[in-house]
Amino acid sequence: MRPWRAVLILYRREVVSALRERTIVVNSILVPIFLYPFLLWAMFTGITFVQGQSEGLASRVAVAAWPDGHDGLAREFADEERVRLTDRVPAGADARIRDGDLDALVEFLPPATAGLEGNFRVRVTYDESKERSGIAKDRVTAAIDRYREAWLKREAETRAVAPARWEGFAIERRNVATGRDMGRFLLGLMLPLFFVVMVAIGCFYPAVDATAGERERGTWETLMSVAASRTSIVTAKYLYVATFGCLAGTLNLAAVTLTMRPVLAPLLERTGEQMEFSVPLAALPVMIAGTLLLAAFVAAGMMMFAAFARTFREGQSMITPFYLLILLPVMFLQTPGIQFSMPLAFVPVVNVTMMVREAVTGAFHWPQIGVTIVVSLAVVAACVYAASLVLRFEDVVMGSYTGGLAGFLRERVLGRGRRPRGAEGGA
Amino acid sequence: MTVTPVAVNGLTKFFYDESRGEVRAVDGIDFSCRPGEIFGLLGANGAGKTTTLRMLATILTPTSGAASIMGFDVSRRPEDVRRHLGFYSSTTALYPRLTGRETLDFFARINGYPPARIPDRVEALVDRFGFRDYAGVRVDKLSQGMKQKVSIARTVAHDPPVLIFDEPTVGLDVLNALDMQKVIGELRNEGKTVIFSTHIMSEAERLCDRIAIIHHGRIHACDTLDRLRASTGKHYLEDIFVHVVERAGERAWP
Repeated sequence: MRPWRAVLILYRREVVSALRERTIVVNSILVPIFLYPFLLWAMFTGITFVQGQSEGLASRVAVAAWPDGHDGLAREFADEERVRLTDRVPAGADARIRDGDLDALVEFLPPATAGLEGNFRVRVTYDESKERSGIAKDRVTAAIDRYREAWLKREAETRAVAPARWEGFAIERRNVATGRDMGRFLLGLMLPLFFVVMVAIGCFYPAVDATAGERERGTWETLMSVAASRTSIVTAKYLYVATFGCLAGTLNLAAVTLTMRPVLAPLLERTGEQMEFSVPLAALPVMIAGTLLLAAFVAAGMMMFAAFARTFREGQSMITPFYLLILLPVMFLQTPGIQFSMPLAFVPVVNVTMMVREAVTGAFHWPQIGVTIVVSLAVVAACVYAASLVLRFEDVVMGSYTGGLAGFLRERVLGRGRRPRGAEGGA
Repeated sequence: MTVTPVAVNGLTKFFYDESRGEVRAVDGIDFSCRPGEIFGLLGANGAGKTTTLRMLATILTPTSGAASIMGFDVSRRPEDVRRHLGFYSSTTALYPRLTGRETLDFFARINGYPPARIPDRVEALVDRFGFRDYAGVRVDKLSQGMKQKVSIARTVAHDPPVLIFDEPTVGLDVLNALDMQKVIGELRNEGKTVIFSTHIMSEAERLCDRIAIIHHGRIHACDTLDRLRASTGKHYLEDIFVHVVERAGERAWP
């Protein structure tokens, strides 16, 4: 039988079995589709709800003494429905604000420097660590600002000064980013993290299933007795793990991209932002390449770790350090202003993640992309070679080796430890 | 020229054990099997039966010596060996998430049975082993007896000329164990060469055409039951076994 045919038959068996395993279907297919869209929805719905609740609450404000000649100020406060003035300034106002019994204290003081007649200073005492107190401060400040603007306008008119002559600098903000640019920026910020986590989760259970799972079910020896080469068996298992990693990564990218707009809609409506969440068509090949490369690397790494496991539980604990290790660089990518530089293109996982992130935002640094592909393929080849070296040891294949990857490297590769080099444990 | 189905010459396997150091699990054994014969490997637990059979099935690599299945060397042509061999043991479980029918299809296909004939072969095996009503049910939903039937069917799915049964009745109840013995007998009648390992004397007595008594990795006697009786002067296999093992012990510790 040709080797590729054996690989195909074994691969098909692995995939059919995996698609009937609830844990794998949930973690490699359903979680990538629903988890992050659901988390985003839950998070933004929560934010919107809390904001709504906070804005609906009346602010309890005490005013020390209204300034003379500013009757309109009291009316301005009275017109602000969300501000409830207390009858008098309570004793120990600062402590009461800290305790949350009062939200803000407003005191009117003489001006620090000479100015217009009737001018005054305002001191607003509040507790920034309490959201309700912060909101009270904002409402009070806004009311005073509105009153000041109207008062200055009146004063200018009595002095026959046109508003244009005394108005200060006007700041006009103009955002050159289009709604599409903003959407891509946001996607670029979130997708890489989701992407790596999902590819890793997609590979996790199949890697354990393909190695420790076989041993735990007692099917490992059955598989070793079929008329296929060890290389074909390992290749089929590797392709199976990589396929589920790829599947998870692709489904997650698609799900997050497609659901971003409806999920963020309530929040965007409130802020008045216009955002369009679409990925440029040119980015698709780069994203597909990124998914394939990352899944190929993660699958090889996880299988190498899981090769030593004899039970599902052992497999999970052996893979977890590798899983956490590949998530670390992605945290580093959240650093503001980080660019896809040539040195970064040499760092596994980071390079693929940066490549995908840049592609989502419509930026293509081809030299870095080229280096990323070459480096990733080299790392995958090294991992697959290392895995094949590990599987040359009979006791590892038969599951009678009792250590993990680190112990194996120490004993068999570096030649330190209890077992003589080349000696195999009992099967 | 007729090919010897199973030929073993000086087959040896050493292991390294944490507490015991180097262990000679199999120590230079020789035997051969003829077509249509049930060859029994009789030995106590840890005698080297399973290691021998795993080497024949190419699951383990011999430390030294040679063995061939249908003329294919186990070290140099492992895939050809496995294509001509069906291997069954208490540790060769089935894939729980495949149905019985899918299991047979997979093992026939991966072991090189002609693809065009696989559907007919699968249905024939389903009928022969009597699990048509359950052929579409996932293996993990089957009873122990049903699993055993599917397991034997998958061993012969690619119609191999040589079959290895390593302690096949371990963990089975009496009726299932008798069923298993009946199937092994039928396979012999079809011309298959069967190597059958056991530590249960009655099974070996009932089934085997020739019996090899293996102890501490070495074969100390190998013949038909009648000749073993004649050479030892004992009638029951249990007595023969004890006699041979004690004599082997005397040789090892003079």
